[in-house]
Amino acid sequence: MTGDVLQKIHKTEFFKELSEDALAAVAAKTTVRKLAPGVVMMRKGDPADSFYLILEGHLKIVTTDARGEEIIINTVGSGETIGELSLVDALPRSAGAVALDEVEALELTRDAFFELLDQRLDVALGILRGLSNRLRFSTTYIEKVIDWSQKTAEGDYSFLEYTQPLTNKAGTDDDKATQLLSTFYSMVRKVKAREEGLKQELERLSFEIDQERRKKEFEEITGTEFYSKLKEQAKTLRQKRNSG
Amino acid sequence: MAGKIVSIHSFRGGTGKSNTTANLASQVAMTGKRVGVVDTDIQSPGIHVLFGLDEQKMGKTMNDYLHGKASIREVGYLVSAVKSDEEGRAKLAGTNLWLFPSSIKSSEISQILQEGIDFNHLNEGLQSAISEFELDYLFIDTHPGLNEETLLSIATSDILIIILRPDNQDIQGTSVTVDVARSLDVPNLLLMVNKALPKYDFAEIKKNIEGEFQATVAGVLPLTFDMAENASRDLFSLRYPDHPWSKGLMNVVEAVLAAT
Repeated sequence: MTGDVLQKIHKTEFFKELSEDALAAVAAKTTVRKLAPGVVMMRKGDPADSFYLILEGHLKIVTTDARGEEIIINTVGSGETIGELSLVDALPRSAGAVALDEVEALELTRDAFFELLDQRLDVALGILRGLSNRLRFSTTYIEKVIDWSQKTAEGDYSFLEYTQPLTNKAGTDDDKATQLLSTFYSMVRKVKAREEGLKQELERLSFEIDQERRKKEFEEITGTEFYSKLKEQAKTLRQKRNSG
Repeated sequence: MAGKIVSIHSFRGGTGKSNTTANLASQVAMTGKRVGVVDTDIQSPGIHVLFGLDEQKMGKTMNDYLHGKASIREVGYLVSAVKSDEEGRAKLAGTNLWLFPSSIKSSEISQILQEGIDFNHLNEGLQSAISEFELDYLFIDTHPGLNEETLLSIATSDILIIILRPDNQDIQGTSVTVDVARSLDVPNLLLMVNKALPKYDFAEIKKNIEGEFQATVAGVLPLTFDMAENASRDLFSLRYPDHPWSKGLMNVVEAVLAAT
């Protein structure tokens, strides 16, 4: 196994806390699978008994819509992983994966994984450490989103001023948390802009004066004999008051 | 320096006119001024309720004055003369605030509506109210719209306050009233926006309306459930002085006191 492959294993979420020695032990349990374009790696609903790390090429992650037609929900490439959590939770595949070009992937079966856990405490601990880091990380992000949601609900958008928009890197799960924050951030910015637009629209609506009607009504009121007399009386009255 | 006549007007009903008039007059009286409030909304009088005056307590009215059956001195009712159980109104104790109520008897209402009101006679009444009670300010609560009685009170006023809600119909109607007030040379024209939804930018409303009418918007007051709950039982701004509505009203009070 080359150092390049070890580097790729090390970069995955699942194995990133492992020591070099432990990584080599993991690598030793893997086998290389090659797929030609169009070959199905896994189908939705299959028992999830392997984890894959893609070394070369691309796969599309697919599911089917209500009419049974294929929907591509994602594409994955070199350095990305498929099904790491299913090594632990053993749930059926939630989506299928099909090679888009020549694909080379490392496969670690569940049996091989359990063997590894049985033999190497350092691997087991490294994986646990990785998972708990991720949990802690997600909690921090969730707390942030809760805080922003509460502020948004109260119409307080001030956090937009002192928070930098986050750059969006698709890929690992860490980045998905970042992606959530970034999506949330831009959502609130749009909500704020829409609200301001709406406000202005309402205010503009309030100031549509029908000038013709205004003129007509003014003339109706001031065109009477009563009004002319009143205007005269008011004038006299003001003069009298000013002089007195 | 003669007392000033302050007419409160709105183009449509429901703007909170009587309530605002009663609160304005009371707040001005609280500053130590001698104040009168005349109800010239002869068709649908209502301001007396805010001052705790009911049919039993009501003596001579403006109707009696206009029919020559009473002098203005007899019509004036010193609001602070009766001790009030309501927290807000109780604060008026010791103030010089007189109410000149309109009759709430339907026969007297229809009689005056048929006969019409004589400008000079009403005007003499207002002038004698000012001189006999030595008033600094005489507030006139008018009937909504631009009928003859309302035009009379606009014509005679030194300060005209037009109350409007920030909606198209009120703004349209107010535009006509503003034009009429200018045609009648009213010296001080103030606008007050009432029942503005709190979600709007009040400064923006003020700016836009001032731009439209070239007249001062003395206050933008919020629509509030607290006010509706009070339901004319008490003088809201005296009872809840820290409420946003009351604070908005105080801006209008200041504008009235500053007008020359």
